Amino acid sequence: MSDDAKDEAPSDEESGSGNGSAGPPIIELKGIGKTYYRGKERLDVLKDLDLTIAEGSFEALMGPSGSGKSTLLNLIAGLDTASTGTIRVAGADLNAMSDGERAKWRASTIGFVFQTYNLMPVLTALENVELPLLLTNLGSAERKTRAKTALKVVGLEDRMDHHPRQLSGGQEQRVTIARAIVTDPKIIVADEPTGDLDRENADEILNLLDKLNQEFNKTIVMVTHDPAAADRATQLRQLDKGALK
Amino acid sequence: MNLGTLAVKNVLRNKTRTIMTVVAVAVALVAFILLQTVLTAWTAAADAAAKDRIASRHKVSWVMSLPLKYVSDIEQVPGVQKAAPFVWFGGKDPNHEDEFFATIAVDPPKFLEVYDEIQVEPAEREEWLQNRRGALVGDVIAKKLGWKVGDKVTIVGQIYGGDWEFHVSGIYTAKRRSVDRSTLWFHWDYLNESLSGRRKDQVGWIVARIDDPGRSAEISKAIDAKFEERDIQTLTMSERALQTSFLGMVSAVLKALNVVSFVILLIMVLILGNTVAMGVRERTNEYGVLRAIGFMPKHIVAFVLGEAVTIGALGAIVGIALSYPMVERGLGRFIEENMGSYFPYFRIAPSTLVTAAVLAMALGLVAAAIPAFRASKLDVVDSLRRVG
Ligand SMILES: Nc1ncnc2c1ncn2[C@@H]1O[C@H](COP(=O)(O)OP(=O)(O)OP(=O)(O)O)[C@@H](O)[C@H]1O
Ligand SMILES: [Mg+2]
Repeated sequence: MSDDAKDEAPSDEESGSGNGSAGPPIIELKGIGKTYYRGKERLDVLKDLDLTIAEGSFEALMGPSGSGKSTLLNLIAGLDTASTGTIRVAGADLNAMSDGERAKWRASTIGFVFQTYNLMPVLTALENVELPLLLTNLGSAERKTRAKTALKVVGLEDRMDHHPRQLSGGQEQRVTIARAIVTDPKIIVADEPTGDLDRENADEILNLLDKLNQEFNKTIVMVTHDPAAADRATQLRQLDKGALK
Repeated sequence: MNLGTLAVKNVLRNKTRTIMTVVAVAVALVAFILLQTVLTAWTAAADAAAKDRIASRHKVSWVMSLPLKYVSDIEQVPGVQKAAPFVWFGGKDPNHEDEFFATIAVDPPKFLEVYDEIQVEPAEREEWLQNRRGALVGDVIAKKLGWKVGDKVTIVGQIYGGDWEFHVSGIYTAKRRSVDRSTLWFHWDYLNESLSGRRKDQVGWIVARIDDPGRSAEISKAIDAKFEERDIQTLTMSERALQTSFLGMVSAVLKALNVVSFVILLIMVLILGNTVAMGVRERTNEYGVLRAIGFMPKHIVAFVLGEAVTIGALGAIVGIALSYPMVERGLGRFIEENMGSYFPYFRIAPSTLVTAAVLAMALGLVAAAIPAFRASKLDVVDSLRRVG
């Protein structure tokens, strides 16, 4: 899967895209609505939302709590389906796919960074990073090599045998980032990746995301409450009551 | 690392809970193995029965006797090689009042021919055949009572009364398990010469050796038919049927043991199921993460089932490791020596161990089925929202 992704990456013709200049659209949402029902009460979390994100951009999504940021991010990442509208991400029509197809698609296309506590506590840092590769048909040695490379990118190769509880919050989050990039996905989604971290650790994570965007040409969509984090993005969007401003 | 690693590592995560569950499973399996061993030991007596022997008794009851003449009559029936008479004497060693062993009067030459699995030194055999007061004693009971060849022993008759003197002519073992090794066999003549009137020339039952085990039902019928028109009719059955009819008396107990076995297994399933369900509940968020990065519901099912099977297998290893030496090193021999007439062979059958191990793992699957199904149906977004 990851080999395909590499082949398709428009690295030659779009060499400048990592520096904030927009490539072709990689995420396209048209007329998206998401409605929840609580008993009889209808809750329109997202209303007729249009959004286009260019390949290689680093987007920050801000807005008050409950405005629908996580909901939107989950739709883009193929974790959830929209009530109305169409979503095209990295060439796939997400609403038309089955759950199983979306799971396969996520495994190859999306890297996830959640707020915290999303590593398997029983696995070492290296094993956590290797986890997504178990779904590929790579051999065990190759999986290990790739997981080590990913840990090197986040500067934690010397901690690969540590378990999450032996790592600081910032280190845990770096392991998560290593896990997110190990399959070489085109897009990384991050939901408040620095939410639980102090300034110093938060900056380190943001530097890393920056590096992934600049050097590895990853498209990054990040939800955040932190203005300093939003400053790092090439594009800032505000979500309020289910609509983009 | 592979997919199984995660399941196994999760098992070891909450060590106290895992150890308690493994111990509970192990204890349940020990109980199961012991109960099954009791059951197989009971039936082993019947399974060990010689297939080429049939036994005839009074049609009405065991306690009623047959005329001695029936022995030669039975030998006339086509297919019968040899018939031997038996009388239940019911004696006790006054020095060991609590020790139960069978005391049976036989016609020694015929007896040794029909029960050819009896093994005894030629000299001792000869001595027993010659000596009307001679007794042939099983090695197990001889050892327990401290009797040796050449001893004079006194037995108190429970049925025939009085003190009876015997000379221990020989001590026997057996080539097969079809004969009890705690019996004292003695000369029927010795008993008969002391009797008078209607008690004289009577035998308790008659065992015949037949040519062809395949015809045992047919020959049994022929024997019973022969006595159909006489005053005293017979009931003839294979040695196996005889043993089984004896087991029939305790079949209610056997059934109860079986029920208890299954109740124990049920409890085991509940304990395992509870442990697995607790683990699944705590790990909702982790399953959400796994699903997000591309794992399928089938993988989640495999993780949960893998955990349950691992716990079941650990329980099986511990349970077998406990019960095997328990029986082989202590309990088994104790039971064989002290309750040998009921359990001539009290050992764990390999098939019981295999059954226990397979059941522990299979029931692990059963116990984990519902939690596994639930975990696989979790909504990804929902479970990601649940932290910790
Ligand atoms: N499964 C659900 N059922 C009903 N309502 C839901 C469900 N999931 C989310 N909501 C509601 O949708 C709204 C948007 O939720 P969402 O998590 O997207 O907000 P958010 O912008 O990410 O907020 P925060 O900044 O607090 O994370 C909230 O009002 C929330 O209560
Ligand atoms: Mg949110």
